[in-house]
Order: sequence, then structure tokens, then C-alpha cells
Amino acid sequence: MKTETEVRRALREWVIRTNGKIAADALTDRTPIIEQRIVTSLQITDLLLFLEELTGRAIDVEKLKPGIFRDIDAIYENFFGKADGV
Amino acid sequence: MAELKRTVERLSEISRKEFADPYTALRDWPERLDPDQWFTSPEFISLCGTEEYERLAQTEKKRLSFLEAVNFYSLNIHGEKSLIEGLARRLYRKDDEDLAPYLHHFLDEENKHMIYFAAFCERYAGKIYPDKKLAFPRDYADGEEDFLFFAKVLVFEEIVDVYNVRMSQDAKLDAVARQINAMHHRDEARHLVFGRQVVKELFQRHASKWPREVLDGVRSYLCDYIVATWREYYNADVYRDMAFDDPRGLQLKAFSHPVQKRQRQTVSAGCLRFLVDSGILPEEPTL
Repeated sequence: MKTETEVRRALREWVIRTNGKIAADALTDRTPIIEQRIVTSLQITDLLLFLEELTGRAIDVEKLKPGIFRDIDAIYENFFGKADGV
Repeated sequence: MAELKRTVERLSEISRKEFADPYTALRDWPERLDPDQWFTSPEFISLCGTEEYERLAQTEKKRLSFLEAVNFYSLNIHGEKSLIEGLARRLYRKDDEDLAPYLHHFLDEENKHMIYFAAFCERYAGKIYPDKKLAFPRDYADGEEDFLFFAKVLVFEEIVDVYNVRMSQDAKLDAVARQINAMHHRDEARHLVFGRQVVKELFQRHASKWPREVLDGVRSYLCDYIVATWREYYNADVYRDMAFDDPRGLQLKAFSHPVQKRQRQTVSAGCLRFLVDSGILPEEPTL
């Protein structure tokens, strides 16, 4: 079981690796990754698989709420925090 | 536009002649399938070439070929659902009235495809693999949304059709699997003719008016879409159903395997050539 710090770091690393251009110090947990097109809709499939791997459970895409991928804070809160994603 | 109109008339006439009832085929399908059959041609199995695949017993390879078929049909169902939504929005839209006669057939045929894809998945696997795609609303330049809609349809259908043609003729495959691939190809051949013409026409109409950053964005998005489309063929849920260790790791490994890279490039060759020859992409992307 990963700690909150480890999960957030893993998510930041995924975003940096997937985008391929953004510098690590330009990305915070509040950076709007969808609005700024740092992550595109086409990359969300891969993010979902990564989240399934981190959480150890399947994600039902049809039940996802809008804004769930807004930034790393939102992703953490929804998939690892109390709200639990769906 | 005049050429497109003539194509619409010609394709509509063929669609009317070949109007089919999808339920006729379903009535002849067996209650159960023979598990000792292939359902996906071995070269199209997403793990083909990997050591994990080579280690499998023949019965396990055939089981995997069944689950890969369920994934292939599930991808088609999800792709066709989005396609139907997009086509319906464009039906009788101002300036596109000439397309309407064929859009009716396109919608009808896509709906029928989903009937037999879903019947196979539900009858023999008891499920359809879930869709993992999401779309975010955004602003588009003039003509960009239309162009990307039809270009994505084209990419998706061109790849599927290569599978359909090859698998409809593969004597190793179970009769139901061969039939589904053949039925799908019969209509898709027309959809591809329409798709290529409409994509070319939309690009010629709009691209010259797009600022450089829009054109670059469209090209980059399209290349990403081609890769994203291919990624769905490597479904961790399939590997999970096969009880493989580390399904996600296997997915990444299979996708980057040289045999699979070659296969993707070969299957996509016709589509990529069209996109480059039409000036839509400056060069073929590496898949």
C-alpha cells in the first residue's frame, strides 16, 4: 500500500512522462492538466489503467464525475481519498 | 463536393440492394462454441511474438484467441456507439444535406453491426469489455471538429477492416467468428470509400484556412489517436481473464514488442499511406 506522498509522486511522474515536454518544477498538484492540455483525452485511457494499477481495482468509466481529472489534487481526492472515485 | 455527391448516390444504391437482417445470422448460431477452435487468427493475437504467448499450451492459446475476439468485438461496439452519435448529429445539418441519404444507411448498418457483435459477446462470454475512453469538451477552429470526427472514424474502420478481411478468410477460425468478420467487412468496404472521400474533402475545404498551430495540433492529435486506437487492442482485462501475472506489465511489454510493432505498422499501412498521400499527415508516424 502506497502512502499519499508516494501516490502523488507516482501521478506527477506519470503526467511528466506522458506529456514528454513539461518540466518537473512546472507541475504542481494544482496545475490544471486537462484545461492546459498537459494531458489529452486520448491519454486518459492510459491514466485509467495506471490508476487501476495503483488502486488495485477496476474503474467504471461510465460512473466517473466531471472534473475528476482536473489536477492531481482532484485525482488523488477522488480515487484515493474519501470520495473514492465514483 | 460534386464527386462526393455522386459517391453518396452510388453507395446508397448498393446499401439498398444489400439491405440485410442481422437477426437471420444469429438464429443459426450454436448455443455453445467449441473451445477447441480459434476465434482470432494467431497473428492478430496481441501477445503474439512474446515469450508469454509462446509458453502457452495450445488450449490456452485458443482460449486467449476467444477473449481477444470478445475484446475486438467490444472495441467495435464502443467505436460504433460514438460513431452513431456523431452521424446522428450531422444528419440533415445545414450545408450537409447531400450526405443525408448515405448517413441513413451508415447509421442503419452500424446499428446492425452492434447487434451481432454484442450477441456474440453476451451469448458466449457473458459480457462486453468496458470502454475506457473519455472525451473532454473543447473549442475547435472552423471545420476542425468535423474533420477530426470523420478522420477518427476512418482510422478506426481502416484498421478493423484489415482484421475483418484476413479473419473472414482464415479457415482455422470458428465459423461464427469468420461469419462476423465477413458480415462486417461487407458494409465497411462502402464506409471506407465514403470515409476517405469525406475526410479528403473536409481537409481540402478547411485546412488552408487554419492557422499553423491548429494544423499542427490536428496532425499531432490524429497521430496520438492512431496510437491510442492501437493501445486498446492490448487489453489488460483480457490478460486478467487469462489469469496472467501482472496484466498491466504484460500490456506494456506486448505493446512495445518488435513483432507487435511490425504488425501494427503493416496493418495500418493502407490508412497511413492515404493520410500522407492526401497531405493530411506530413509523414507516416511510427506505431
